[in-house]
Amino acid sequence: MKRRNFYIVSDGRLKRKENTLYFESGEDRRPIPVNAIYAIYALGSLTVTSKALSYLAREGICVHFFNRYGLYEGSFYPREGLVSGEVVIRQAEHYLDHDKRLYLAKAFVEGSIMNMARVLRKSGEDDSEVISALQALADAGRIDEVMGAEAVARNAYYSKFDSILQEMKFERRSRQPPENEVNAMISFGNSLLYSAVISEIYHTQLHPAISFLHEPMERRFSLALDIAELFKPVIVDRLIFNLVNRKVVTEGDFDDRFNGVLLNENGRRKFVKAFNERLEKTVKHRKLKRSVSYQRLIRLECYKLVKHVLNAEKYRPFVMWW
Amino acid sequence: MYVIIAYDVNVERVNRVKKFLRQHLNWVQNSLFEGEVTPADLEEIRMGLRRIIDEEEDMVVIYRLRSADAMKREVIGVEKSSVDEVI
Repeated sequence: MKRRNFYIVSDGRLKRKENTLYFESGEDRRPIPVNAIYAIYALGSLTVTSKALSYLAREGICVHFFNRYGLYEGSFYPREGLVSGEVVIRQAEHYLDHDKRLYLAKAFVEGSIMNMARVLRKSGEDDSEVISALQALADAGRIDEVMGAEAVARNAYYSKFDSILQEMKFERRSRQPPENEVNAMISFGNSLLYSAVISEIYHTQLHPAISFLHEPMERRFSLALDIAELFKPVIVDRLIFNLVNRKVVTEGDFDDRFNGVLLNENGRRKFVKAFNERLEKTVKHRKLKRSVSYQRLIRLECYKLVKHVLNAEKYRPFVMWW
Repeated sequence: MYVIIAYDVNVERVNRVKKFLRQHLNWVQNSLFEGEVTPADLEEIRMGLRRIIDEEEDMVVIYRLRSADAMKREVIGVEKSSVDEVI
């Protein structure tokens, strides 16, 4: 069966029975055919039995957990099925060699800037400020300067949000906690995207902790942060513009009873559904000459990295071509 | 492709067929499953069913559709099991 992402927003238990998974909550019992699962996103409070986990591990299915604020907490990352010492060693080499690392870090930021500019142009906004950060990027000789160029571009990019968003105010980026509705959606969307990238990395030989733009940190899959950077504008930000301007998500879908603003359960359901539709949305790939989904584009990006570290083909970042 | 599988097998085996198909497809109602599959999945399902059923006595029907879009699905009454990916 075609494997899909499942998002469990309700509270309940996930257990294994009759070689398939069941989600139980109260009286409800919902079977999920195991061969239909690509990854599971646990957004509610979920109890998973060890039998269910070992079955998921055997099938190579990742489970991503989020806290009650909708922020990413961690993943159940089954034992790697596609181990390649060669790729890991080469990947580490590209981290350890300053020039090689700089090349990849710049590539990620360049792709990210181009995609931001593209999103602005598609919304009829001026992108010159964002594009001009490319000069600083080209001049950057250290990783922190690359990060700096990225920050400049992102600030310019965010400053256009208020004229794109007709129904809600953005003002400025705020995190932990998000100060308003738009920020809440950006944080939540980025968390979902980060997990989606982890799922894709799992299905390749890449090591999830060896990253190039972000510093490889302990206890974190920082390579997913690098790759997510490229897709944030295309997947998360455009989704938010869409949801806000078509009034799919409105004031009533948020909760502001504590220090910040967060999506409530109903809002989360809408957001997650739209997010998944976006991942499954397809575009015609120019080189492959066939339709690929956005999710597949993330996987292709991983393959490009594998080729790059193996010196088979130089990595060029993903830039939206439509 | 999208498949719809209906079966009528001896009561001794009916549970095994259900258990097996549960791994691969969505359960719609008693003796009826459906879902999106690849040709390889379908072959696996076919082989599994052959192993379970008694071909002298039982019958399984597999309807194949090019894709889910080729189908118009209508439910009258209570939908027993949802296929939504947001739970």
